[in-house]
Amino acid sequence: MDKKKLLIVEDEPVLNKALQEFLSAEGFEVIAAVDGEEGIRKAGAEMPDLILLDIILPKKDGYEVIREVKADEKTKNIPIILLTNLGSINDVEKALELGATTYLVKADYKLEEITQKIKGILGMD
Amino acid sequence: MQDMLESFDLKKQADELGVSVWKSPGFLFILMGIIIISSMLAVYFVFNNPDSVEYLLFSEFALVLVLFTVGNSIISGVDEIARANKMKTEFVSIASHQLKTPLSEINWEMELLVSKFSEGLTEKQKELIGNVGNSNARMIRLVNDLLDVARIDQGRLPLVKEELDIVGIIKDVIDNNRNLAASHNVKVNVVNYGSVPKIFGDRKRTVVVLDNLISNSIKYTKEKGNVDVAITPEKDRLVVCVKDDGVGIPKKQQKNVFHKFFRSDNAIKNQTEGTGLGLYIAKNVIVQSGGDMWFDSEENRGSTFCFSLPLKKNDKFYSVSM
Repeated sequence: MDKKKLLIVEDEPVLNKALQEFLSAEGFEVIAAVDGEEGIRKAGAEMPDLILLDIILPKKDGYEVIREVKADEKTKNIPIILLTNLGSINDVEKALELGATTYLVKADYKLEEITQKIKGILGMD
Repeated sequence: MQDMLESFDLKKQADELGVSVWKSPGFLFILMGIIIISSMLAVYFVFNNPDSVEYLLFSEFALVLVLFTVGNSIISGVDEIARANKMKTEFVSIASHQLKTPLSEINWEMELLVSKFSEGLTEKQKELIGNVGNSNARMIRLVNDLLDVARIDQGRLPLVKEELDIVGIIKDVIDNNRNLAASHNVKVNVVNYGSVPKIFGDRKRTVVVLDNLISNSIKYTKEKGNVDVAITPEKDRLVVCVKDDGVGIPKKQQKNVFHKFFRSDNAIKNQTEGTGLGLYIAKNVIVQSGGDMWFDSEENRGSTFCFSLPLKKNDKFYSVSM
């Protein structure tokens, strides 16, 4: 089976690297971006199977990234998991309205649990 | 009723928040009343002495001026209290978010180390890493509690809608508390009355609610006690009760149990750690989920804490999870 390709959009280097290393070890092909613009560009160029997206990002924030990815005919069906430490009702509602598949709070989820969610969405379990 | 009066005591709230208001708004309202009555007396006096029209003009002018000043003072006082209260809540939110990024980093790096790069580590090293991980998890819980309280105060606590296997969750929570139970020499039993239907709720938060009730029961039970977790399906709800034969809650403090930052004398006497936020958050989570939480307690005999969750779907959840 082909390796599933994941795009990580996260500006905190430590978190970005930890996600990359864990998910690579779990057998995914992992690409990373450190700001919203790079995220949108790589989503179009690399066509990942799933995007892990932070909300507070330089250049363009996570909401803008969802908006642009969902507006592009080519990338609109890529599932997006929002991964953030924001977590008020307003943030959750806004992200879901824009078309994010689900919403996980970083501090509350282990890498293992995030991996399970990804596998669930990609139908790998 | 007394609670209601307390929440309307703006002067007290203002003092707590460090906002200075002149006298209490209640006093100002009384003052306004006195002014209105005296002006009416003045008008009456003028009508009885039709020669002194200037008195009428003067008194009307004074009335408008004084009412405007006093009213303005009340409104600005209330305004400032509301602003200070909002700032306090926002401060907690921002501080908690800023704390959560480094805490997430520690969490994920530790997990990465243990699960993917642990080759060559000795048992002792693994034990030490585990301890750091536990301390970090405690810190995250603390920050989450503060953040939840701020969100509850703002009415913005999000809940996820998931199908819950409540029996499985209870077993997991008991399992996670087995070291605590062993150290207190307490036995935790599950009593199941009837077949348990699937219910909807926020999994992570339901785990926290149950962990709170079960770990409290264990902590406040003396040596060789029992903690019973009973699951009772009713017509349109599921009731879960956690019963212990522990220290109990003094009668006169029982009305405060679900207040934030409240810790009973018995709890403090037993010197168990705690912030007094757990039950406040738990009750709010359950109520927002469409259920209820209540308890029954007798000092030195034990406590029973119960909560219910509705069997039918609830619109108050947000379906953000798979």
